Amino acid sequence: MSTTVSSDETTRPGTAPGTAPATEDGALPVLAVDLVTAPSLLGSLASLARGLEEAGVGALTLSDGGLHPIHVAAHLAPLTRAVGLLPRTDAIYVEPFHLATQLMSLDHLSHGRAGWLLQAETDPSAPVAVGREVLGLEATAREAADVLAAARALWDTWAPDAVVRDVERGVYVDASRLQYADVEAETFSVRGPAITPRSPQGLLPVLVADTDRAAVGEEVATSHADGRVLDLDVSPGARAKELGARIAEAIEEGPTGEGDRVRLVRLVGLDLEADPLGTVSQLAAELRARDLISPTPNPRRTLRAQLGLAPAPFQLDPARRADRARLTREESA
Amino acid sequence: MTATTPLSEEAAALATGPAEHPLHPAHTPTGQLSFGAFFQGVNSSTIWRLPESGDQVAWESFESLVRTAERGVFSAFFLGEGLRLREHRGVPFELDVAGRPDAQTLLAALAGVTENIGLVATQNTTYNDPVDLARRLQTLDLLSGGRAGWNVVTTDNAWTGENFRRGGYLDHADRYLHAEAFVQVAQQIWRGEPVSHDGAHYSVRGQGDLPRSAQGEPVLFQAGASPAGQDFAARTADVIFSPHGTIDSAVEFRRSIVERTVAAGRDPGAVKILPGAEIILAPTEAEAEEKVRWVRDLQIGPEQAIALLEQYWGRDLSGFDPDGPLPDVPPEVAESGVTRGAGFQFAKAEELTRAWREEAAEKGQSILEFARGRAGARRGTFTGSYDQVADRLVEFARLGAIDGLNITPWLIPSGLDDIVDHLIPRLQERGVYPSEYAGTTLRENLGLQPV
Repeated sequence: MSTTVSSDETTRPGTAPGTAPATEDGALPVLAVDLVTAPSLLGSLASLARGLEEAGVGALTLSDGGLHPIHVAAHLAPLTRAVGLLPRTDAIYVEPFHLATQLMSLDHLSHGRAGWLLQAETDPSAPVAVGREVLGLEATAREAADVLAAARALWDTWAPDAVVRDVERGVYVDASRLQYADVEAETFSVRGPAITPRSPQGLLPVLVADTDRAAVGEEVATSHADGRVLDLDVSPGARAKELGARIAEAIEEGPTGEGDRVRLVRLVGLDLEADPLGTVSQLAAELRARDLISPTPNPRRTLRAQLGLAPAPFQLDPARRADRARLTREESA
Repeated sequence: MTATTPLSEEAAALATGPAEHPLHPAHTPTGQLSFGAFFQGVNSSTIWRLPESGDQVAWESFESLVRTAERGVFSAFFLGEGLRLREHRGVPFELDVAGRPDAQTLLAALAGVTENIGLVATQNTTYNDPVDLARRLQTLDLLSGGRAGWNVVTTDNAWTGENFRRGGYLDHADRYLHAEAFVQVAQQIWRGEPVSHDGAHYSVRGQGDLPRSAQGEPVLFQAGASPAGQDFAARTADVIFSPHGTIDSAVEFRRSIVERTVAAGRDPGAVKILPGAEIILAPTEAEAEEKVRWVRDLQIGPEQAIALLEQYWGRDLSGFDPDGPLPDVPPEVAESGVTRGAGFQFAKAEELTRAWREEAAEKGQSILEFARGRAGARRGTFTGSYDQVADRLVEFARLGAIDGLNITPWLIPSGLDDIVDHLIPRLQERGVYPSEYAGTTLRENLGLQPV
């Protein structure tokens, strides 16, 4: 049995009441641009991110080009205002606890604009860098599902109101509003609770790009993820009409499961060293005019809300309550 | 006080050599201090009970604190880390500040809103993978233009290991050996060298492919308290920050570190010492004394006092009156480790609790008074009037006992305000603190040699 603590997480802190709620079904996908985290872009990352935001992009995905995508996303958070920030990063050859902590921290400092493009590393250099054996395709897919479940369990270990600052009772954090993760997966376990309080979105949106679908496995892509990323290659020269047709087609095909509704439409292959902003601005305007992508992002709404995902309320599992040792003592006393 | 004013009798008595090397023949003081701001984010030093106690996780708190530090020409902004929530008697500890963002993720964001201040992340060698951690630190170093630092910590307990793939695999005795191998792998990655490491605890293959940062590679911090820790720091660290609250102990520590650094084949000034410190200031000495009591009372409330004793008694003491004498019951030694994630040894509980009872009875202290004396802020070298503390610090600098301080603010985010507004201008007037940043990298601003 689990109980639900409701909290208003469609809106970001400080939002005026009366803001329109998220459209949960039939929401239009958000337009995204992929930035590759190459060291050669260090000098221009900030202006590029701001420029793309100005041009009407709704989210930035960060693909690994050397600099760690989570840190680059964090770096861009205070330099941007409304865009979603979604690092594409490996779920397999990492410590699930660190990964979950880093991502929820990104959500805190971006005020609810963080997401995760779940990737399952298949490059053989990844396991040997952490002293592990290469996993086969099936084991990789199982591990991706396990790590995703562990991350979500950790993100959900603090109630939104766990920090009570009760001066009268001398209590800063109420342990009855925390829970252990108690994850026992095939290759790892995670006790929890998180070392970071619940982030603004609670559960970060987790999306899978089409190019990552094979590695993460069908189960994660169709059932466990929050949505699909449709990639549109614009390197040969982008025309809104063709791109629009691709989007319409993908939306019409419909999802094959709960997890693969198209939530993000991502432009890849832009020449970022040239001046991509004019192209992006024009495409964004035309696709919006055709009602194929969502409106420009509202800095007061979370990424979940922008993507049309329902809020993620805290799910308290009584069996995992963090004060269970005290309850047991009281019962036996 | 100026550079030519004679040292106080106390300080002069500690010098064993001429002004060029008063403490050790191989060590020459720079006469300059650097400050770090140490945001702990957990434990009782941070006061959460006041209306002005800010949010411990909100971006705005960190942004505000780091801007104050940069206004005060602080060399570093330093974040702590603990990889499992502290627990007390099997339940997450409720009475102190708990929960903080991931250090490096936060610092990567702060790099975007600061220009000069160093950004130092505490990161564990036991529960990280060296190639991954090295890359993340190098990313921070590049994003910040050469301002990253790494506080190298080790953990050996299986309890923290319950959050990680490897679990608790490391013997206490092996932790520095392991840490040293870990740091070497990280340095190889930073230097773009191929790594082929087969150690007792892991095998790693990899190669760094990121460019060098403006400072070469991240600055290494270490607590360096125990003899083994001091040796580890003398061999590998750039900065040591274990606390030394009196000039005597700071002098002794400097001599110890100089000896060990020279023995490790490094330059005697290669390791900077910035002891952790809590600074409490007021316009006058009397006001400062009053403020110390006020801070201490806010840090340690009655519930925390009871919990502190419970750590050592190993049993429920909630029935005792915090304003009464220390508990007259024996400790339950069997139930050791009631507070996890806080450094303490339970070994001699019987002896220790008896000694405490006697000490408190002798001083006529209640549980609350005793706990405040032990765990809360206390009068010391770094509490006093603005001028007193400035004058004391000048003596530390002239002797070369320390190279600066790593300051824990007791209030977030305003806890550095009076240091920046009142202490630093006095240190600048006295010629021991920079009036502007020496450079744009952390190494430059700490006076460290380039890599």
